[in-house]
Amino acid sequence: MAKAIPKKGSRGRIGSRKSIRKIPKGVINIQASFNNSIVTVTDVRGRVISWSSADTCGFKGTRKGTPFAAQTAAAIAIRVVVDQGMKRAEVMIRGLGLGRDAALRAIRRIGILLTFARDVTPMPHNGYRPQKKTCVEIKIEDISIARETREINDSMIRSNNIIMV
Amino acid sequence: MPHCIVTTTNHHCPPPITTASCYSPLLPSSSSSSSVSRFRESSIGFPTAKFHYSFRSSNSNSNRRRKVGVICMAKERRVKMVAKQIQRELSDMLLTDQVLQYAILPEAALGADRYLSSLTTISDVEVSSDLQVVKVYVSVFGDERGKEVALSGLKSKAKYVRGQLGKRMKLRLTPEIRFIEDESLERGSRVIAILDKIKSEKNTVENPLVESSDPVEDWDDEDDDDDIIYVK
Repeated sequence: MAKAIPKKGSRGRIGSRKSIRKIPKGVINIQASFNNSIVTVTDVRGRVISWSSADTCGFKGTRKGTPFAAQTAAAIAIRVVVDQGMKRAEVMIRGLGLGRDAALRAIRRIGILLTFARDVTPMPHNGYRPQKKTCVEIKIEDISIARETREINDSMIRSNNIIMV
Repeated sequence: MPHCIVTTTNHHCPPPITTASCYSPLLPSSSSSSSVSRFRESSIGFPTAKFHYSFRSSNSNSNRRRKVGVICMAKERRVKMVAKQIQRELSDMLLTDQVLQYAILPEAALGADRYLSSLTTISDVEVSSDLQVVKVYVSVFGDERGKEVALSGLKSKAKYVRGQLGKRMKLRLTPEIRFIEDESLERGSRVIAILDKIKSEKNTVENPLVESSDPVEDWDDEDDDDDIIYVK
């Protein structure tokens, strides 16, 4: 692969890219999977300003997937940017998880105006074969238990009628 | 919901294989629960025949498994697995199925499908212990009208969703689906907002020299030209 060609304005100034830029409008990407949520704040062109996830907030294991973790991740990611003066944001949501709703509410709570909320979950136009679905067995026991509970219910109701009368 | 089904020690071995397990965690010992069942059988004259039928245990395995805990535990885990699988399938259906998307967001049919006015999420799925009833808690982010539209759309498509779920999942009996609005996320958000306000008020009281950029005050000066979503 060829070496990355530095962009025009950045020769010799790569280190100072981290200086504070005033960005009034940005894009917040929320990737909310079932086990984790990642919040990335970029500018309109797509250059990342700050990011945070449930894991970097200190949650581990199953608690990363909870909506509270998504809230704290969003709060931490946005705090950096709010100080730089960002007021409006467009939100792009990826994935199906509990973080979708929770992170949106956190963003709203902090005071950033949401211009648009878009759902950009990657959807194939029938590409690769999807993963096999985990099969949850329903054994005969469960069904018989269900039937018995229904029978007992009916008999209880009938017997109550009999006793009361 | 019946919770007390007890295995008795009949040693019949008839063709219909039915096993029964005690369900309530309040009666741990099988002896006490069997006494309860016998009391019930004696008091209920009419359907004793039915009880006898349903309590016939066939395998020696189930006799050995008379201890209440074993059957309950496996079933609890299976119920949780089924609930999780149903949540995944339903949220996937919300995203990919055209019919459902039109039911939630009527403007999706007009073509504005990527710019949403409300966002629907399935926050929780509760399955009854006999896997017949599924309560789906739906949380909608948006204004009042969006919430009503989304929830009524989902409720009207309950039968369709049940059919689709039966096609996607291998279940012997597809459960009945009920959609319930979930306000817990909203309530939690409100509580945290109040706490934040208290904290900031405490900070301003303690430090009278406020820092230069106070984002809350700047927010009031803005023009409310496009206030699309205001969740209060």
